[in-house]
Amino acid sequence: MDNPKPLDGLRILDSTYVFALPYAGGHLADLGAEVIKIEGPSRPDVTRTGGYAGVFADNDHGEDWWNRPSTFNLINRGKNSLVINMADPEGRELFKEMVKISDVVMENFTPRVMKGWGLDYPNLKKLNPNIIMISNTGYGHGEGPYSSYPSQATTAELSHGMANLTGYENGPPSKAGASFVDFLATWTALFALGGALKYRNETGKGQWIDIGMYQTGVMFISEYLLDAQLNGQESARIGNKSPNRAPQNCYQTIGNDQWIAISVDSDEEWQTLCSLMNKHEMSMDSKFAHLNDRIKNHEEIDAVITEWTRQKTKYDVMHLLQENGIAAGPVINSQDIHYDEHFISRNFIEKVAYPEDRNMGTRMFLGRPYKLSNHPLHITKPAPKFGEHNAYYLKTILGISDEEFETMYENGLIADIPGDREPSATFDPLKRIEAKTLADWDPDYKKNLGI
Amino acid sequence: MLNNVFENLTILDISEDVSGSFCARLFADYGAHVLKIEPIHGAKLRTQGPFFENDPHSEKSFSFFTHNFNKKGITLDIESAIGKDIFKDLASRADLIIESFQPGRMKELGLDLATLQTINPKLSMTSITPFGQTGPYKNFKSSELINYAMSLIMSISGVQGQQPLKHAGMQAEYEGGLFGAGATSISLFKSSLTGIGEHIDVSITECVASTMMATQSIYPFIGGTQTRRKAEGSNSEQAAQATNDGWVVWQTGGGASWEDIANFFESPELLEPKFAVREQRIANGTELDNIVESYMKTKGKWELFRKASEARMLFGVAQTATELNNCEQLKSRGFYHQIEHPYMGNVNVPAELFKYSATPFQMRYPAPTIGEHNQEIYIENLGFTAQQLVKLRQIGVI
Repeated sequence: MDNPKPLDGLRILDSTYVFALPYAGGHLADLGAEVIKIEGPSRPDVTRTGGYAGVFADNDHGEDWWNRPSTFNLINRGKNSLVINMADPEGRELFKEMVKISDVVMENFTPRVMKGWGLDYPNLKKLNPNIIMISNTGYGHGEGPYSSYPSQATTAELSHGMANLTGYENGPPSKAGASFVDFLATWTALFALGGALKYRNETGKGQWIDIGMYQTGVMFISEYLLDAQLNGQESARIGNKSPNRAPQNCYQTIGNDQWIAISVDSDEEWQTLCSLMNKHEMSMDSKFAHLNDRIKNHEEIDAVITEWTRQKTKYDVMHLLQENGIAAGPVINSQDIHYDEHFISRNFIEKVAYPEDRNMGTRMFLGRPYKLSNHPLHITKPAPKFGEHNAYYLKTILGISDEEFETMYENGLIADIPGDREPSATFDPLKRIEAKTLADWDPDYKKNLGI
Repeated sequence: MLNNVFENLTILDISEDVSGSFCARLFADYGAHVLKIEPIHGAKLRTQGPFFENDPHSEKSFSFFTHNFNKKGITLDIESAIGKDIFKDLASRADLIIESFQPGRMKELGLDLATLQTINPKLSMTSITPFGQTGPYKNFKSSELINYAMSLIMSISGVQGQQPLKHAGMQAEYEGGLFGAGATSISLFKSSLTGIGEHIDVSITECVASTMMATQSIYPFIGGTQTRRKAEGSNSEQAAQATNDGWVVWQTGGGASWEDIANFFESPELLEPKFAVREQRIANGTELDNIVESYMKTKGKWELFRKASEARMLFGVAQTATELNNCEQLKSRGFYHQIEHPYMGNVNVPAELFKYSATPFQMRYPAPTIGEHNQEIYIENLGFTAQQLVKLRQIGVI
């Protein structure tokens, strides 16, 4: 028996797709919950197609491409898979039977869907009076003007105000190349669920948690909203600089596209930096003496620092500056994080061994950004194959006969091969590098990682 | 009967930064009794701008305000012997302490969780720091830029040929606060069952890195390293594009077919074979961008946003802070709540993160002024006399 986990004994129906809530489900599985990923026979999670920046293990579709993509496997670790057609009333009956024996239902359909199926919170509550339901939508449920608008995190990053503040000086608004706001919803769901579980335990009552990703994103620029409201000010885009620290920027180091971030907090730190760079005349120069002087003459300082950092590796600069009390850190990329001594020492990237029949070998995934002193956690098992646990839930748990179960397969009510979907293409990494859509490729990655 | 999910929790917030303060505020928003304990001259966050009327006054920091409303506040020098005793007394009645000191500092003060649990076994402690409590970088100096640089996201943010770019503001610290609140919330549910608290070690860099699931996994799946987008071309789906009055972004996927998208841009040339699949759209990116941008330059961003929603397209519009303050969608969701602040007057506060159906968000207090609740907490709750309070003030403990 493993160590006890905080959510042992909790059963969660996870009818969610793509990133935000599915990742919450993955984290809940790490925490000990039995998380059942529900997909449709012709509606697999789109991350199973290798879309949404995923790649297939070994860049190979294998015999079951739908079980092999990177993002799908990372996000859905530790879950079980049940594939039933919710668009069919008979499929919804199976779902309802599962609701009766579950603690939590998670869904991220557009607001009209669950209601249309008679599976909104008031109806789920009739099936299971203390059920907790978590809904995540782009703009939240309700009567607001955008409630029915389609939304996804990558475009939402503009709408929730972040992009207008982010960007190079004098450049256009910019967004990070990732689904930033999705993960704010992931953790809002975990926070909300912990509270709802505690409340249910103390009162016997479940409830509905209604998350709108738009407002989770807007919350993260609160101080700018107040500045606009009470001072009438809109902030300019300032790249990597800061109004409180100078010099602060990214500087190129030895290697291809390698960078070190440096952030100087005081006049004393500036003096230290000058002496480390052997720029004694700069340390004496009054035009760099204080914060405001350095902000004004930042470009001149940047040129000098770059000349110095170009001769060194990013990790050498980090160690030298940190030893001397200055905040500095390398820009860590996809490859670096697997070899960085700090993240290794915290076991932040975890190895997950797949059973032989999966033909996936061992892969490595982001763990959790927290540690619980009484509950050492790890990824409990690989993400499930499509429909892997159909028989377990329908026959063992719900008591459906072998015969009925076979009929359900024949009628397309359940499945273990997704219909109506094509995998995204595999590719030649060297061509991708040439096309500049990939920075680098390490053909020996498995040997280097020891997997 | 509980009126709110965290109503029977008492939390001591001794953090001085965004992440710990935001974490504690989220519990306060949904009912917890949160006591902000500050050094006698106030928490460091009070010195962080932007400031009300651009006046760097300790009661006028928007950052302090936004992460500390719904809390009561006292001052206490926890480094002094008397201060430590008072802190232990408070901890004996609390469920959770939230702190963000350098790792090891609480132990030096004799206020680490193991020590405090000898008087209160159900107590938990959440520590939120840039690199966590263990590992070779645990005591490294950091800042928002360093947190961002070391957590994968900057390696793919910005454009090729220029430096990696951080998000504006304090996103890493906000994430540390929210993700830390998520882990803490689950842990507190467990300790409410067992009666035994635990230590929750949250690393801000790991919080940000944990969001980079496509970026991390590409390496152990195929040996690849992700990059930033090209400066020119293929910007559809990835970068803001100009309209006649602002910036928008659009992408494929969602409910719109490529044909729907060509119709949306009133550009039949988009149906030519060279734009048929994604790889070709990237390869012919500059031409594609020219077609859509020449159309969008004749239109306003709001007109396009509404039209895109009708076409079921995924579409974002770059909003200013002022536009968001006036947003009808946010208002309809009850995102903003009003509160009166002694220095800032009436404030329309960005406040409600999500909705519980049974136990609504509560706006109770503005952020406390320095030592605002000293009288109430020390005299009414802890039983000090008025004279003793004067004495504590004189010797610099409060």
